[in-house]
Amino acid sequence: MMKLRHSLKDSMAAPLEKAVEQLSREDFVEEAYSQEAAESIGFSSYSYWRSTFQCFRRNRLAMVLLMILFLLILFTLIQPFLPGQFPAGKIINHPVTQKQMSNIPPGFSNIQTRVEEGIKLHITTSWKDEQWAAVSNILSSLKAREDFTVIAYGDEWCQVEYKGQSGYVRNDFTTKLKLPEDPTQVPYPCRSNFSLKLFSSPQDLTRNGDELFVLLSALDISEDGQTATVRKGGADLRIYPDNRPFLFGTNNVGQDLWAQVWSGTRTSLLIGIVVAVLQSLLGILIGILWGYVRALDRLLTEVYNVIDNIPTTIVLILVSYILRPGISTLILAMVITGWVGMARFVRNQIVIIRDRDYNLASRCLGTSVWRIMFRNLLPYLVSVIMLRLALAVPGAIGNEVFITYIGLGLPVSIPSLGNLINEGRRLLSTSQSYQLVFPTVVLSLITISFYIIGNAFADAAEPKNHR
Amino acid sequence: MFRYLLKRMLTSLLTLAIILTVVFILVRQMPIEGYFDNFDKLDDAVIQASLNRMGLRDPILVQLKDFFVRLFHGDLGTSARYSVGVPITSIIARKAPLSLQMGLISMAVSLILGLPLGAAMARSRSGFWDKFGTAFIVFVTAVPAAVYYIYIQSFGSSILGVSMLFSQNDWRTWILPILSMAMGNTAYYAMWLRRYMVDEMSKDYVRLATAKGVKSQEITMRHVFRNSFVPMIQYIPTSLLYTVSGSIYIESLYSIPGMGGLLVDVITRQDNPMVQALVMIYSCIGIVGMILGDLLMVVMDPRISLSRKESGR
Repeated sequence: MMKLRHSLKDSMAAPLEKAVEQLSREDFVEEAYSQEAAESIGFSSYSYWRSTFQCFRRNRLAMVLLMILFLLILFTLIQPFLPGQFPAGKIINHPVTQKQMSNIPPGFSNIQTRVEEGIKLHITTSWKDEQWAAVSNILSSLKAREDFTVIAYGDEWCQVEYKGQSGYVRNDFTTKLKLPEDPTQVPYPCRSNFSLKLFSSPQDLTRNGDELFVLLSALDISEDGQTATVRKGGADLRIYPDNRPFLFGTNNVGQDLWAQVWSGTRTSLLIGIVVAVLQSLLGILIGILWGYVRALDRLLTEVYNVIDNIPTTIVLILVSYILRPGISTLILAMVITGWVGMARFVRNQIVIIRDRDYNLASRCLGTSVWRIMFRNLLPYLVSVIMLRLALAVPGAIGNEVFITYIGLGLPVSIPSLGNLINEGRRLLSTSQSYQLVFPTVVLSLITISFYIIGNAFADAAEPKNHR
Repeated sequence: MFRYLLKRMLTSLLTLAIILTVVFILVRQMPIEGYFDNFDKLDDAVIQASLNRMGLRDPILVQLKDFFVRLFHGDLGTSARYSVGVPITSIIARKAPLSLQMGLISMAVSLILGLPLGAAMARSRSGFWDKFGTAFIVFVTAVPAAVYYIYIQSFGSSILGVSMLFSQNDWRTWILPILSMAMGNTAYYAMWLRRYMVDEMSKDYVRLATAKGVKSQEITMRHVFRNSFVPMIQYIPTSLLYTVSGSIYIESLYSIPGMGGLLVDVITRQDNPMVQALVMIYSCIGIVGMILGDLLMVVMDPRISLSRKESGR
């Protein structure tokens, strides 16, 4: 028994005859005769699914997006269990003023200001716990037309004395102090036409008068407990007595947008995936019956004509109009409109392949109809089905946005991407545009990923593309 | 041809009748508040009396018969909440022209933009235009229209320096809604034209023309484009339909006083007779669009004949 030492491929490159001429005895190795080897039957090591995945892996963009999508879905699932999360839907109130903490811009820390050591802060006695104190550097508030004495002038701040307290007041267009031309003319009795605030240092640490919070460990508190000095190294003044930041800011009712966005993503993905799976199952089942069972063809074609002639948006609107708004209504509405496309696709494919020889042979051998449908026909449709399944998810998410926009979607108490986008929509041209940007970025990432992955997988599942 | 059309019309009428019946029965399941302008203030006797007067307490089949009889007289009923007592036909007659006008213009725009884009994509396979067009198509098809419409409205109006809302007399306010409406269809035309052209280019007649020495530009324009355009013709009337459904969005976004915004309006106000009438009109457009699409194909491509039966599979 001889075996070719060279692989055949090398010699294939040159014309075959030439290659044969060049063969010599050294190219062969001698081997003992074995009955087993002579009778063994070779088979192809081709595996459909392995080739599909190999083909898919070659598409780098799709692989990257698949990773991103996988991580994103994983993250939305574990996000509520991570430490330091605000619960979705919780309205966060300011501990001192009890006002909703609305429209706080996004940030990694939500530190309002950082103060240097030695700065004197005024402790607001109304709120304090073991760790945090509410502080401001406002000593007192002056009503309009109250008298005070200016000690030193400045461009933006004046040092003044008021009822024995020494402090600073703002001197700009908001206060409009009437001061003499000569800066040496001190002390100067003055009175403002507007109400003023007396600050302990020439800066407004509280911005617009809200109390800020500071860690007690960063302060040296005076004996009366009214004032405190910032210790060595300075201190952070936070807008919320907590180390948890509002990563995506808060919305206009004071909910943490980060929690809202991920909770909304969960809802939207749930709707998208359930709709995609249900409408595919229904579509495949009906499509196979429609294509394979000739007696049903007429009836189902007529049903298809009726449903297909009503624009899908109208059916969506009608179903969500009639039923009570909720997740199940949305899913029902989308499945009712969605299965039709899938069924027609499957039916057309089935009609093409049902009379091929291998199916004829199968029928002649007495295979049952169900077995033919699910073993002979269905595997043929994997690429089409996967594509439509992947496209149905972004489609369903988009429809949810549309229905919410019309006012027939989920109630605001259930956050979904549609709800968040609909609320953020009104704020786009203002400084609160981040409330639209975050949900739309997450939504676009999800829909584009599904679209590209679906197309890449459909290409990979096509046996013609396998090497 | 004529016999085919007649038969087609008749089946369409039948389909339409079934659709109307289904919609009618569905709409009857809606809450009765939708029939009254001030439901909360009315007492029970008045409600029952007016339900009787409107014929809503009759058996559903009798209602259905009455409805079809009135429909044959061109009477769609009167609005219950949107503008009380005004015949729906006159409301629609006031609103429809604007929607139609915008729909037609946006379709022209999408054809003007989409066809050259598709042709350029097919000619420069994996070149710049192909990549650009693919990115555009992926973006438009994958990102929900709602999202990019909002961004177009907001950034567009600040770039152009025009109002966000539509005003019929200011032509500049027409630009953004028409552009948004055209986006989806532009991507759609470009995608399909590219696919058909790529298919056509591998056919024998193209190779023959190349062998004969016809310039490649002439081949694409005169032969490939024309042949690839035929299957797309069928979509055009259906696309008209899609502009109607797309304009539901855009019209309420820009407060354009057209049909699409009207549907959203009457839904939020729960005006049952109006919802019913509008759904019917949209379904009619759908059916007419299908027939027109088939007809256009026959006109454009002499090889296709509708009257001859398709070869059986």
